[in-house]
Amino acid sequence: MNTYRASRADQKDNKPKMNSSGRAGSPRLGRRIGSGAVLLFLLIAAIVTLFPIYMALLNSVKTQGEMLTNILAWPSMPEFGNYVDAFQKTRYLRSLGNTIIVVAVGLTGIILFSSMAGYKLSRTPGKLSAILFGLFVMSTLIPFHSIMITLVTISKELRLQGSTVGLGLLYIGLGVAVAIFLYHGFVKSIPRELDEAAVMDGCGEFRLFFTIILPLLMPITATIAILNTLWMWNDFLLPLLMLTNYKSYTLLLSTNMLFGEYNNDWSAILASLVLAMLPVIILYLALQKYILHGIAEGAIKA
Amino acid sequence: MTSRTWKRNAILLVFVLPALVFYAAFTLAPAFGGMWYSFTDWNGLGPSYKAIGLSNYVEAIGDRYFLKSLWFTVKFVLYMLVLQNVLAILLAVLVESLGRSKVWFRTIFFMPNMLSLIIGGFMWMFIFTRVFPYLADKTGWMLFDQSWIGDPNYSFFAILALSLWGGVGYLMIIYIAAIQGVPKQLKEAAAIDGAHAFHIFRHVTLPMIYPALTIGVFLTLNSSFKVFDSVYALTGGGPGRSTQVIAINIYEEAFSFSNRYGYASAKAMILFGIVLIITIIQLAVMKRREVRA
Repeated sequence: MNTYRASRADQKDNKPKMNSSGRAGSPRLGRRIGSGAVLLFLLIAAIVTLFPIYMALLNSVKTQGEMLTNILAWPSMPEFGNYVDAFQKTRYLRSLGNTIIVVAVGLTGIILFSSMAGYKLSRTPGKLSAILFGLFVMSTLIPFHSIMITLVTISKELRLQGSTVGLGLLYIGLGVAVAIFLYHGFVKSIPRELDEAAVMDGCGEFRLFFTIILPLLMPITATIAILNTLWMWNDFLLPLLMLTNYKSYTLLLSTNMLFGEYNNDWSAILASLVLAMLPVIILYLALQKYILHGIAEGAIKA
Repeated sequence: MTSRTWKRNAILLVFVLPALVFYAAFTLAPAFGGMWYSFTDWNGLGPSYKAIGLSNYVEAIGDRYFLKSLWFTVKFVLYMLVLQNVLAILLAVLVESLGRSKVWFRTIFFMPNMLSLIIGGFMWMFIFTRVFPYLADKTGWMLFDQSWIGDPNYSFFAILALSLWGGVGYLMIIYIAAIQGVPKQLKEAAAIDGAHAFHIFRHVTLPMIYPALTIGVFLTLNSSFKVFDSVYALTGGGPGRSTQVIAINIYEEAFSFSNRYGYASAKAMILFGIVLIITIIQLAVMKRREVRA
């Protein structure tokens, strides 16, 4: 179900509901005070939520001196030098590129491999299929910190440590289990007759999957893509352990390094935080509808 | 087995193999490897190590700092469990009661969830160490005039505030989805019968969103036992080791100062055991209540 459409739908439903409760005799004044209090509470909550982001934005265009005199005031003259500074110190474009490589490698692998596995596991009856599916589901409760030590050792052995592509490959191994689970459930909604008809027409297994099934999996693929992109983009600990050379640093690692090195230079740090947030916020505002829907869907099914 | 079954299973394996290879290498192998290393004295560097039985586990149980981090984490989990779910339900119910403006509030409340808690943590660090002292100067309020990062009694709440800020929106979205699933007729019927808003919530909405509550509690338990980023960004576990959570304790044991991979693995297995047991209990208890409700 589409969240946006759903919210539109119950807006329409709101009116008769208000009328009916009005008839039930609830005093109109009390109701108005009540909804005023609700709005006030939500406004305060929204201000608290946005306050850190607002403060970061505001003070990222001030000089250090101006920040000290009045931290809440608007800058007398916007100082964009902080951004130039942060841009260079975090090697912004390279860090952004590294992050994109990691996410792209991980996402491609997760979607391709889990859709294949999830589809066939869902379609094949029998013991082997059940055992394999159980094997994947089994791990979903294991906390990352319980496997990270050996994972780092293994990635050293395989010479993956220090490489952004290598990190992407690790994410494939960590991400497939949940994705297979989601695909496995979704495939059940696709009629089996479709497969049978295609096979009868002489369509091979792979062609059947890639040309007929995969496009039909699109809704759940979108959910999986959103959840995994958010996870990999914002993950900090694994890159921290894996990417040992600053040349392969992701956005988060570069920001963390800047924070460590220029501990008191808040203007540059805040500018770098804004720069690090920028891609995510743009993506969020552009794809909000899909993201919120994907989040709800993923959580309820998983 | 017939040849058709053989063929079917062979095709299955071809489809599953790519995922299985990555999964085996980067999830199964480390899980079993970690279990094995937890019984050894491996230091992560040399190739030689020997099995030492349960010594690591015995040591962990007597490790003052590990136990402290365990207690700190449990305290954190309990606060999160209550506050995160109560706030998320409250926001979900109030936002859903609005008209057109609900879209705006939903967008705003979810926004922090899009950001890494490392980024969020540094922004809150600025609030706690720069903005609060300024506000304390201007207003004289005690609230602002505390050492929110430096004093472990207060930094617990700083970590909590950051985690709530970054986590409530996610649960709110789940609860909103659940509330939208509650049939309108039920609420209308209750309203016609003269029930007040709170009673409608308590006796109609809440029982209907019980399955979502199971998810919310599950997600909160799971994520807050593993809390790492928000502590790392705000205090790094300090001052000293006073705000260490389990994940930070394991991380430091393995990678920061001692490199005792075997010992750290034992702690990691204890964390796994705790998460497993609590999840099983939680799901069993809440599923039973769900049926009753």
